[in-house]
Amino acid sequence: MRALTSALEWQSRAVVGRHLRVYLKNWHTSFLPPVLEPITLLLAFGLGLGAYMASGIEWKGRAIGYMSFVAPGMLAYATFMTSIFQSLFGAFIRMRYQRTWEGQLTTQIELRHVVWGEILWAGLLTTSYVAIVGLVLSGCQAIGLLQLELEYLPFVIPIVFVSACAFAALGLCFTALVPTIDHMNLPIFLVVLPLGFVSATYFPLGHPVLAAISTANPVYHLAEGLRGLLLGDGPGYHLAALAGLLGAMLGVLVPLDMRLLRKRVLGD
Amino acid sequence: MTDMPPLLEARALVKRLGGRLVVDGVDLDCHAGQVLGLLGPNGAGKTTTLRMLYGFLSADGGAIRFEGADVSKDLDRFKRQLGVCTQDDTFDGDFTVRQNLEMAARYFRPRPPEVPRRVDELLERFALVPYAGDKPEALSGGFRRRLMIARALVHRPHLLFLDEPTTGLDPQARVAVWDLVNGLRAEGLGIVLTTHYMDEAERLSDALTVLAQGKVVAHGPPKSVLGDMLGDHVVVLEADGSTMPAVAAWLATRLLGEPLSVLGAWHLPLSGEQLADFAREFPALRYEVRPPNLDDLFLKLALPCAR
Repeated sequence: MRALTSALEWQSRAVVGRHLRVYLKNWHTSFLPPVLEPITLLLAFGLGLGAYMASGIEWKGRAIGYMSFVAPGMLAYATFMTSIFQSLFGAFIRMRYQRTWEGQLTTQIELRHVVWGEILWAGLLTTSYVAIVGLVLSGCQAIGLLQLELEYLPFVIPIVFVSACAFAALGLCFTALVPTIDHMNLPIFLVVLPLGFVSATYFPLGHPVLAAISTANPVYHLAEGLRGLLLGDGPGYHLAALAGLLGAMLGVLVPLDMRLLRKRVLGD
Repeated sequence: MTDMPPLLEARALVKRLGGRLVVDGVDLDCHAGQVLGLLGPNGAGKTTTLRMLYGFLSADGGAIRFEGADVSKDLDRFKRQLGVCTQDDTFDGDFTVRQNLEMAARYFRPRPPEVPRRVDELLERFALVPYAGDKPEALSGGFRRRLMIARALVHRPHLLFLDEPTTGLDPQARVAVWDLVNGLRAEGLGIVLTTHYMDEAERLSDALTVLAQGKVVAHGPPKSVLGDMLGDHVVVLEADGSTMPAVAAWLATRLLGEPLSVLGAWHLPLSGEQLADFAREFPALRYEVRPPNLDDLFLKLALPCAR
């Protein structure tokens, strides 16, 4: 239980505060690429691929513009990729190369706070990225490229934050396990990319096997949940399934992260 | 000083790592205003002991008390009183020297009072003022160490852990660190120090705790530890002489163990009585007699480990 309640302790906030200060110092290098990436993808997939689907795409029995279909999927994809990459590469570099964690652990910060600090920071960073992508979507809507129910956009923020925290908890497991940064390719190709692509972010999952697999994929439920919210279909089943999966991920993965990282960082 | 209750007290500490017994029943005390030197050859359990003492690792057995209170009951309060300077540099490379000190202060509650003034004071004291706006990687080894020690002091701890604080430094930088440690002791800080440099341990430590294979094999003031473990004299003689078998046999009959062999010379730690006996036994042998030092102690301890 303490593994979970440590998220609320001041030490976890102090770790987040440290990451935020570094981020604000380097905002021009660390802020723009992850924001530009989903925007570029949105424009490339929406305008590029969307041009071949002039009649739109069928979703839940109704035809919608491809760009409107892909926009909520982009928010889900950005949530997943930003948080998991932050907890894979960002955390690994701080743990292994910068030795930031070791320095923090010589103070009143303990490993459980370092873990929560990384998770909460990934959640915060991802949410800020997604919020900016949301602003871009609002701009696209204003010029008639999208038809979304934007009044529901504020509800996206807490969903993205909790999802990003759970994805970061998953990323930290790999951070604890991979021997070197070169080995990050394994979780990326074996886990991250399959989860990201079998998730109805860019295209509907019509194939029954893919559809069956995706029921256990939180990225799929996030994409479909956000799509339901922003296309006026209500929260529904997908957000409930997402809540269950995220709860299970946080409940299982955070204590596991702490155990694995304790062995890795402290040798204990 | 030793009549006062110890600042830090460890009793019967035990730690297993990877199924191996690394620390086996270690006792030690450190008082305010005292430098306790923790010595031992590689693999003796020094760093593991130190890591348990500063709360990095939990002990599998035994107890650690700080100012008489069981540390495990309130680790957070204990850690507020500690300053830790690890063997490797762990400063935050994303911040400048000044920001590193300011950042470290944020990791303590209650927050250290008047942090900007404290940071200025530490920059001044550790001669880091000219580098305050630089990133730590721009500093020389000696100044990096100073930054590490300064960072460990930003919250005004009562107890400071220094894990091999001068490893890799040139002699001038080592002496500068010694001066700082001396000054901190004079201010009443308790300091637990590990080092491989024997002269450093002898000069800085008020007391030594010597570990070998996870156990305390000697404890006390440096001179008394040397006397207890080595005797009063060390006889140094060339090991290629024809009398060596006779010397080895003499050592064996007196249960003095095997000689310490260094670069073709034998070093024989002997008491005054044993030295007189040796002189009578080998009147024609050429040898040098010198007082023992901690190098001899290390060699003596390391020999069984190496075998």
